[in-house]
Amino acid sequence: MNVPDLKSLQCGDADAWDAAFHWLWPVAFEVVRNKLSPFLPADIEDVAFEALEELIEKVREVNRTEELKPLLASISHHRAVDLLRERFSQKRGEGRTESLDATPEEQADDCEPVAWESPLNSLEQKELVEGLRTTLATLKPPLGDVLEDFFLHEMSYEEIAQRHGIAVGSVGVYRNRGLEAMRSIWGSGSGKL
Amino acid sequence: MNDERFFDLAMKAIVHQASSAECVELEAAMASEPSRKIEWQNLQAQARLTKEVLALTSAVKSTQGEFPAYARERLQTKVRQTLGRPQAQEKKASFGWRWFLVLAPATAVLVLLLLITAKPHQPIIEIAMLDGVGLTRGGGTNDVTLLEQQWKGVKVQTFARSDELASWEQRWPSTKALVTKVIYDPAAAEIRVLLRSEGKLSVKAIPVDRDLSVALRQAEAFIKAQTAR
Repeated sequence: MNVPDLKSLQCGDADAWDAAFHWLWPVAFEVVRNKLSPFLPADIEDVAFEALEELIEKVREVNRTEELKPLLASISHHRAVDLLRERFSQKRGEGRTESLDATPEEQADDCEPVAWESPLNSLEQKELVEGLRTTLATLKPPLGDVLEDFFLHEMSYEEIAQRHGIAVGSVGVYRNRGLEAMRSIWGSGSGKL
Repeated sequence: MNDERFFDLAMKAIVHQASSAECVELEAAMASEPSRKIEWQNLQAQARLTKEVLALTSAVKSTQGEFPAYARERLQTKVRQTLGRPQAQEKKASFGWRWFLVLAPATAVLVLLLLITAKPHQPIIEIAMLDGVGLTRGGGTNDVTLLEQQWKGVKVQTFARSDELASWEQRWPSTKALVTKVIYDPAAAEIRVLLRSEGKLSVKAIPVDRDLSVALRQAEAFIKAQTAR
């Protein structure tokens, strides 16, 4: 698919936006689906549409076309998290205070899905966009692909080695290199980024 | 236990690739050295963050998924309201406005006629096939052809990875019409038929023994039986 022309998008060209919707939709849908499918699957499409609408509002702030997808991913992520917080805040009952000493079991009983909270949620949109762009530029194939297969698809060393045509012993090396790159971009994941 | 060994065991355990013996070895290391427990928690946090970031970057690279056509107008309206239109398109629009005034009465009559004679929502059918390398029998092209012959006019979507197929399987168009998804999985030697209507989901798995076309006819018969109800 051809990458849409940024200037045409910023001018409101209908044809350029038609092409852009098809080009961008998989990003918004995938990000929102990853966040909402365990909790609010019926809201996935709506939130993805809202993310696209917000991107339309921000398109004139973008300088290059390659910024669009990371920006949309960031918008989609934050919108999905906002919805989760809003819905589960309502579920708990607004204004009701929680005990700071609540045990994990008590929290689970309270139906608070803390599973979706992460350090990324506290980042400003611009920070998240920059982080994603740097990560994409740093984790070129096969490094990024090996990392995805290891962490996202939980494949074994042998499966990863076979898939990417590398030695089994190299899988650990790629993994470690990738983790080091992630640490330098995002921090260690415990505490502030 | 040296740091490298602990790190490797920890990483394997985090992605559920550690054997029972390796898990025992890891537990023993944490029991004998309390600092390892803190290291384990830090590695878990790092892995969680890594997974989240990778999920986002994977999504940025994603090209799977059809943009829902019904959303086009909503988003184009947003474009118009937010960005306006390029000048050339505005002139075209103002010219078109005059034509609309002229054709408005005829359009109203046409719309009325269409509403009166409107057919109920047409059923929608979507077909997908898992076509990983070396998995298909007799070549993926023949299977795709058989699928297309069974349901003429319906494009068969092929997926190389089962997670992509699973993602497609979960996506349903927002419509009141009956939606049918037919999924051919050569590796599992089965056809899965999913029908969704008014919030209800019917699922049937049809084994593919030797002849795919036989299983396809069974799938068609199941769909017709469900549709007739």
